Amino acid sequence: MSRRLALLLVCLVLGRAAEAQRPLADYRYFRALSIDLNGRPPTRAELADLERPDFDIAAWIDNHLSGRGYVERVTRIYTDLLRLELPDSSISFAPRSILLRWTSILGPDGRPIDLYFRNGQRRAQPAIDGQVCFTAAEIGIQVPSDGASIGTPKAVTRKLLEARTVVVRPWWLYADYARPLPRDRASAAWVQRFGYELVWSMFTEPDGRTPMTGVRVCREEAQTAETGRVFATGYVAKKADPLLPGRLTRLPSDTPFAVANAGSSVSCSLAVAFESSHECGCGPGLERCLPSGPNGFVSPWHAPLGKDATFFAAARPAILWLRAWWSEEATKFIEQIFAGDQDVRLLLTSPATRVNGPLAQFYRFFANTTCCGAGTELGYTRPVPLFDPAAVPTTLAPFEVSTWATVENRGEHAAGILTMPIFLLKYGSQRQRAHAIYKAFMCREFVAETVKLEPSTEPDLTKRTGCATCHRRLEPMAAYFARVVESGWTYLPPTTFPLSSPRCTARDRAQMSPACATFYDPDFTDERSTMLRGAYGAPAHADAGPRGFAAEVSSSPDFAPCVVRNVAQSFLGRPLTSDDERWRQELSRAFVTGGYRIRALVQAIVTSRQYREANDVMTEAR
Amino acid sequence: MKGIAFVAACVLAGGCGPKAVITAGPTRALPPHREIVLDSGPKAPRRMVPPEVFLRAYLTWFGGLSPGATLLRAREGDLFDQWTDYLAALGLPDHHFDVPRAMQSNTVMLAAIGRLGEALCIRSVELELRANTPIASRVIFAFEATPQPTRAQFAAGFDVLHRTFLGYPAGLGPPQRLERFFELHQKVVANHAAGQRLTPDEMAWAAVCTALVQHPETGLY
Repeated sequence: MSRRLALLLVCLVLGRAAEAQRPLADYRYFRALSIDLNGRPPTRAELADLERPDFDIAAWIDNHLSGRGYVERVTRIYTDLLRLELPDSSISFAPRSILLRWTSILGPDGRPIDLYFRNGQRRAQPAIDGQVCFTAAEIGIQVPSDGASIGTPKAVTRKLLEARTVVVRPWWLYADYARPLPRDRASAAWVQRFGYELVWSMFTEPDGRTPMTGVRVCREEAQTAETGRVFATGYVAKKADPLLPGRLTRLPSDTPFAVANAGSSVSCSLAVAFESSHECGCGPGLERCLPSGPNGFVSPWHAPLGKDATFFAAARPAILWLRAWWSEEATKFIEQIFAGDQDVRLLLTSPATRVNGPLAQFYRFFANTTCCGAGTELGYTRPVPLFDPAAVPTTLAPFEVSTWATVENRGEHAAGILTMPIFLLKYGSQRQRAHAIYKAFMCREFVAETVKLEPSTEPDLTKRTGCATCHRRLEPMAAYFARVVESGWTYLPPTTFPLSSPRCTARDRAQMSPACATFYDPDFTDERSTMLRGAYGAPAHADAGPRGFAAEVSSSPDFAPCVVRNVAQSFLGRPLTSDDERWRQELSRAFVTGGYRIRALVQAIVTSRQYREANDVMTEAR
Repeated sequence: MKGIAFVAACVLAGGCGPKAVITAGPTRALPPHREIVLDSGPKAPRRMVPPEVFLRAYLTWFGGLSPGATLLRAREGDLFDQWTDYLAALGLPDHHFDVPRAMQSNTVMLAAIGRLGEALCIRSVELELRANTPIASRVIFAFEATPQPTRAQFAAGFDVLHRTFLGYPAGLGPPQRLERFFELHQKVVANHAAGQRLTPDEMAWAAVCTALVQHPETGLY
């Protein structure tokens, strides 16, 4: 008995000794590692592990260089640099072809009905072509293209209601919306199931109590065909034309596309189809459209720990709900590169991306509807996309928010974050785009000389006194984005938009057509040649596109030292100085020879003397 | 004139004397010396714990709840407002509006941390000490809290809190730290009126906990 007791005592003493405290510096180092690689301070249990004599700090670092905390940490370096979020008011992305407006009409029983329709929807009947699918005589009101209805509503007849409209179970309310009779209706459980949340009190019938089980839509909008036939009415609107009786707008004119392609088939996902075919609707379950109301789509707003741990979410219109995922695409893309310890140059060069349900819907049905605007007058009607809709996984439904899939190849023009909508909108102009990348990935900045700016008529900023200092470098870089429209993602292919377009040349630049002036720079136009906007700094760069810019930046001798600088500064919490230059060069060499992998770089940093001794710990707090 | 002549005579007399010779004495080892390594590495003030890290730690201290569940638990008794009231104050960037990450603390930030600390500590006192939750299940007060503890009893509990928030044993802190916090505990016990929501002892531990959440070392690394 006494031997057992002695053994127990020995064990207790040894056990206590085995958990002896370490020097304070060890604890502080471990806490810093935990904060940087694990995303939180160490727990008491983890401190107890540290105090074990067999604790292996190198193994601990190894184990945590692939965890979520580490990935978030390094991702944060680049999300802070690029700031890829947009305020609600910044960009008005609301193409008519995808936006389902709603208005209230009186049903046959005199009770209000919510009616969904698209502004500008082509219809076979001239009286309602381009407008809501009832005349004022039929429902008592006129519905302007925006704002409140005009007039006193009157009950529509049952026969007319059934003839002109149809009730659809839409994608935002039914998981099986593509089936003939959808039954899997959205519920509060969808937050767990799909990460998708609606403010249910807003999805009711006009009585405010009856849950919405379907939406009444004009019959043309409810069509599901993939293609439609182009039709031309022969009508060309003139300003002097009087409005037809009962109409608030003139009849839609035939577009040049409609005139040229009348009778032929067109894909309903194109904007020209919306403008020139009455056979194109919103598709099964209205998946090719977004409702303008109710504003009950819950969107994460403050989510510093990720969208699955949202600190503040707000109910918003579907169009803003959708936009919230643009920035998340970039974050998920960056995270994937760091989680997989891939070559960091892929941030700029990769054709891949990550999409969830809303993004899949956006790229399949919405992204190309912004094309082609004035480009149609120059023959650009079928967009050459930066993200090929055919590459989008069709298995992702619009409400599948928490399911993310990798798209290995977005298309031949895709280049990392450079061709993502959030980047192209956050940095709307060609120069902004070039500058953002120059700063974040080459750690360079444009600093103007102290020269006097004088009035000048020189349109070439690479030559203009005072401007040339910066623009000599900036304009050639900005030219890489000349084929992506500003504040948008429409690609301008060389076949339709040659660098110099013979059809846009003009002796007097004031005589350029509006379409030509939209895409070609009047300042570089004469009777023999013209110049694609933004390309004059380096015309060859325009054809190389964002991929060319990605190649130039990622092969620059500034690229690796810049990555090292950004990562090291973030981990040290201070700017690198000339005293660090030798260390930075060593890290840069190792980073390049190691294949541009961040994990080895971070490992080298957190095990360095600079990291351990980065901060002045002499001043003790009480 | 006589004085000058006298000085000159003395100088001449000295200069003409025999050569001064220093004879070698016995050799002797130099006294032991201490080597000082000069740390020439660049230094900077200690880093601020990123607000994301603070928030994740905060949720962990609240028992690993989601932000929404933490809000619901903390809000009772007006201890907590809304997350939106605190997020910007903690220094998070808002990239929607190009608001950068705060790299230095400020009074609003410290006030926000203080408010969050109070909510955490008072709620934890209620849920752990008052509810007499088994120690193994406690997140913050994982020790036996004796009423009006002795210095030794206080030190044991204080070490648990010190490890939780500052990441190292209290014994490695500055020498007077334990005394100062023990004094704080005693003062709160002495001055907190009985019959309130928390007992004087509970309030004292909540105060110690809050002071540690607000401690500069909690927010720096």
